[in-house]
Amino acid sequence: MCKGISILKARLKQELFDEYELEKRIVARAESEQPELHFMYPDPVVELPVEWDGQTLIMEWGNRGNKESKLPRTGWCRKESLDAGKWRWLKPEPCIIPANFGLEKGVWFHIDEGLEGVVVRDEQDKPHVYMLTQAASVYYENMTRHERMPVLVGQVI
Amino acid sequence: MIAQVSLGSSPLKQPLDNIHAYSILPRMIGHVDADCFYVSAERVRHRHLLGLPVGVLGNHGACIIAKSYEMKASGVGTGVPIWEAAKICPEGIYVKRDFRWYEVLSRKMLDVVKRHSPRVEFYSVDESFFQARSWTAKDASGLQRELIREVGVPVSVGIAPTKTLAKLISDSVKPFGYGVALTESARRELLEGLPVTEITGIAKRSAVKLASHGITTCDQLAAADRAFVRWLLTKRGEDLWWELNGTSVLPINVARPVHKFVSRGGSIGRASSDRQRVAAYVVRNVERLVEALDHYKLVCDQLTLSLLFRDAPERGQRVSLLGSTSGVEPLRQAALWLLPQVWQPPRAAVHYMHVIAGRLWPRWQSQPSLFDQPALRDPQQDTRTAALETVTQQVNASVGRFALRSGMTTPLADVHADPANEYDICDIYGKSCF
Ligand SMILES: [Mg+2]
Repeated sequence: MCKGISILKARLKQELFDEYELEKRIVARAESEQPELHFMYPDPVVELPVEWDGQTLIMEWGNRGNKESKLPRTGWCRKESLDAGKWRWLKPEPCIIPANFGLEKGVWFHIDEGLEGVVVRDEQDKPHVYMLTQAASVYYENMTRHERMPVLVGQVI
Repeated sequence: MIAQVSLGSSPLKQPLDNIHAYSILPRMIGHVDADCFYVSAERVRHRHLLGLPVGVLGNHGACIIAKSYEMKASGVGTGVPIWEAAKICPEGIYVKRDFRWYEVLSRKMLDVVKRHSPRVEFYSVDESFFQARSWTAKDASGLQRELIREVGVPVSVGIAPTKTLAKLISDSVKPFGYGVALTESARRELLEGLPVTEITGIAKRSAVKLASHGITTCDQLAAADRAFVRWLLTKRGEDLWWELNGTSVLPINVARPVHKFVSRGGSIGRASSDRQRVAAYVVRNVERLVEALDHYKLVCDQLTLSLLFRDAPERGQRVSLLGSTSGVEPLRQAALWLLPQVWQPPRAAVHYMHVIAGRLWPRWQSQPSLFDQPALRDPQQDTRTAALETVTQQVNASVGRFALRSGMTTPLADVHADPANEYDICDIYGKSCF
């Protein structure tokens, strides 16, 4: 699977920083001159960057703690379930989660462009993003020791 | 001497001095070696990896096959499993290997070096030796700058009278360094205190032999008695002795040396005792082997299958073929015949395998076997097989490697589904060394 992502600061527009208080997500990795932003599922505020409907925005990642909501209480959507129509009642829309690195079980792996996701709306019509997952390739499973992996955009791991 | 006398007052003194200098200076040899090549290659297309600890993972995603200097500094070595590396270097970024991309850059590097020299040896995927036209530090740094500008890969460069010295220089100035050993004092300075194991060609066993005679450093080896070195390490050792002392005996090999063996194989991922899966790997490696034989225009008289087991001693067996061949069908049959012989005990889990073609001949020189009696064969079958192989080659040449392959490889659907598996490091042709 993938419990968090990192994106280069340079890939996000300045307006987003003001609107979503992104400054506190900025992290410097090692000696790199390129700051990154981390978005982790266990974060106090659970969000992901999303390319959807022609724009890049920051969206709530799944539904971590709201028992009242009709939305599935997870951050991930199994591609098999999506294909089987189990999410149809939520009217999911495809989106892309732009990312440069992904984190799973302590291993940061490189992401060329981003990950596939779906956007669904809650009772208040607020959009939420779920990260798509699929059975892990042997390579990915060796790398992260996880049997599920994200769906990468234009990339095979 | 004659030249000096007759040209003493010539207005052309300057250039002819150069000619005179050339005659007393040995021919210089350069060595170019990319710094952490696989990582540098990833950085060419992903600039944001610059400055980060980066590890490139091998064929199965389990081990580090190359690391950046930043990752090395945190204590991660080559061959370390990823779960250990991630603990030692939690900020590290791990990348899947892409040999196809590395070859693209490897060829580009070679092209740049070839512009600088009429004689270039493609030594390994990221190293070449070249005959140096000139040998100042400025030339070395110029080549380095050109490679970073045109290819984007940082390299280290050594220039010296011999291949061995040139390589020792480029190794010792890494990363992104250059050095020239033109004078006797520069040569001595280079060798002083340098462990003999730094020399390519001094394997662990030779180092142990040398150490038992008190020789552990390059300067000690160079100062040792030549006949003694020959006695201890045979001609190969003597060659290195000459090279360390500044006399070039190892030539720049412009053409790849003629093969004694061509081999394809490697790890099969998770160790397996599944008959069909292992047989499928045998066939896949035979298909890779045939491709290599075709590339080198070779045929073979012998085929060896060797298997490494997770839980039993390694085994291998050789079979003589009916005449020289590079055909998929006879080699596949031979390999599959060998499989149950080599796979002992039959419940052992196979981890690595190699399919090795031996007794090689250039295709035009191949001899038909005495036992290969056309009368006993079905000419129609032969024509069909040949036609099938031609079509397979044509389809794969235009659609991609292994697009059309034996049905026996279907248990490897997962391996073939991943385009990165189509390319292994030994599939980069033309290197003189692995
Ligand atoms: Mg190198």
